[in-house]
Amino acid sequence: MAIWNREKDGPTEDQVLNVLKRVQDPDLHKDIVTLGFIRNLKVTDGNVAFDMNLTTPACPVKDQMRDEAVALVKGLSGVQNVDVKMTAEVRQTPQMDRTALKNVKNIVAVGSGKGGVGKSTVAVNIAASLVLDGAVVGLLDGDIYGPTMPIMLGITEAPKSINNRMIPQESAGLRFMSMGLLVKADQPLIWRGPMAHRALQQCLFDVEWGNLDYLIVDLPPGTGDIHLTLAQQVPLTGAVIVSTPQDVGLQISMKTLRMFQQTRVPILGIVENMSYYICPHCNSRDHIFGEGGAKRTAAALDIPFLGEVPLDVAIRQQSDAGAPIVVARPESESAKNLREISRRVAAQVSIRSYATLPELDVE
Amino acid sequence: MATDATTPTKIKKLTPGEIQILWADGHETRHLAPLLRGLCPCASCQDEMTGQRVILPIHIPDSLEFRKIELVGQYALHFDFSDNHGTGIYSFEYLRELCRCPQCAR
Repeated sequence: MAIWNREKDGPTEDQVLNVLKRVQDPDLHKDIVTLGFIRNLKVTDGNVAFDMNLTTPACPVKDQMRDEAVALVKGLSGVQNVDVKMTAEVRQTPQMDRTALKNVKNIVAVGSGKGGVGKSTVAVNIAASLVLDGAVVGLLDGDIYGPTMPIMLGITEAPKSINNRMIPQESAGLRFMSMGLLVKADQPLIWRGPMAHRALQQCLFDVEWGNLDYLIVDLPPGTGDIHLTLAQQVPLTGAVIVSTPQDVGLQISMKTLRMFQQTRVPILGIVENMSYYICPHCNSRDHIFGEGGAKRTAAALDIPFLGEVPLDVAIRQQSDAGAPIVVARPESESAKNLREISRRVAAQVSIRSYATLPELDVE
Repeated sequence: MATDATTPTKIKKLTPGEIQILWADGHETRHLAPLLRGLCPCASCQDEMTGQRVILPIHIPDSLEFRKIELVGQYALHFDFSDNHGTGIYSFEYLRELCRCPQCAR
């Protein structure tokens, strides 16, 4: 056979799949063919085209896996062109039958042991980052007594309701719900536990969340009613712990961590907030609360360290102005760190979504 | 902490009054509704402070049945019993601890 003819034939589909099996997903520890990421493979003469369908649009190693795959396929004899389309389909964590939330694929709680560590700021920015990466995201302000989401997202109007179900407000491309939307800003909620429990239930189950890839729940500080309600009512994909580098903050975060462990909520990792201060005048860095505290704790407890967020005036300004920094100042160091953190969260969620609940055969 | 011994893989209702739990370590536990009801861990069946039992299995008729069995989050089971009691949350650890098979009873 003439040489030109052989080149025109190109590789077979099996040859392409075989070589793609060498690409590993570093988080899921399996190759991309076994994981079923390769879709619509077409080999026409020397032109190879396929979709790479990942488990999250916010995959932190998306580019790396694509480049690796392209290089390997190009290495096959007779390949002229490789055309890869990156797609994503977020996997659903095994859910109990809760009709209202059945189209919510993953529920992620963001918690901390004490107040004022920037939980809500981190939660809002993780949610907004996932939106920027192309995911459909909801955000529930679980802080019934001290809701801050309406300020951070710049919307305070009460949600509309249709057929007795509330329609979440939308800002920064995400759907959100907060007690702050239902109660006047200066009006305190003086409720006992059971009322808070009911309020959270309503925010979860009586809100028209629709189809969501991720529902991020911003928890109030500590280990109380709201946490228990959430851990008991929904199968959480996992929890993110926010802490400052300071020892006391960390020790208290440990309580939250133990609570999640006792109720078997997987810990997706620790985010260290206020890691260092960037001086707005000279750009120098100061580790006001000590350095590397959360990272050391994460390593000691064998849980993922998700990243550091600086103590940055711009984050506070943007939060007060009602636009998350990842949206308003995407070029800033803080925004870049938060984007990376959200991708690491998404990667951890993908890993956890392969977990299973016990099978229930009780009818 | 969750281990294979305290992680159920399947919960099956064998009869109206008996469930079977298969655990990730391969063990099998069978629980009768009257016994679980009699050892209910809720605050009205067991003193919150002292842990002393208010309700004991001897107080429960043998004919008691399960009305409803549900998961609680990812860590426990909840039962509604035929005497209308249903406030106990049975953690997987507790359910394994209560296993009365010859091997565990030893």
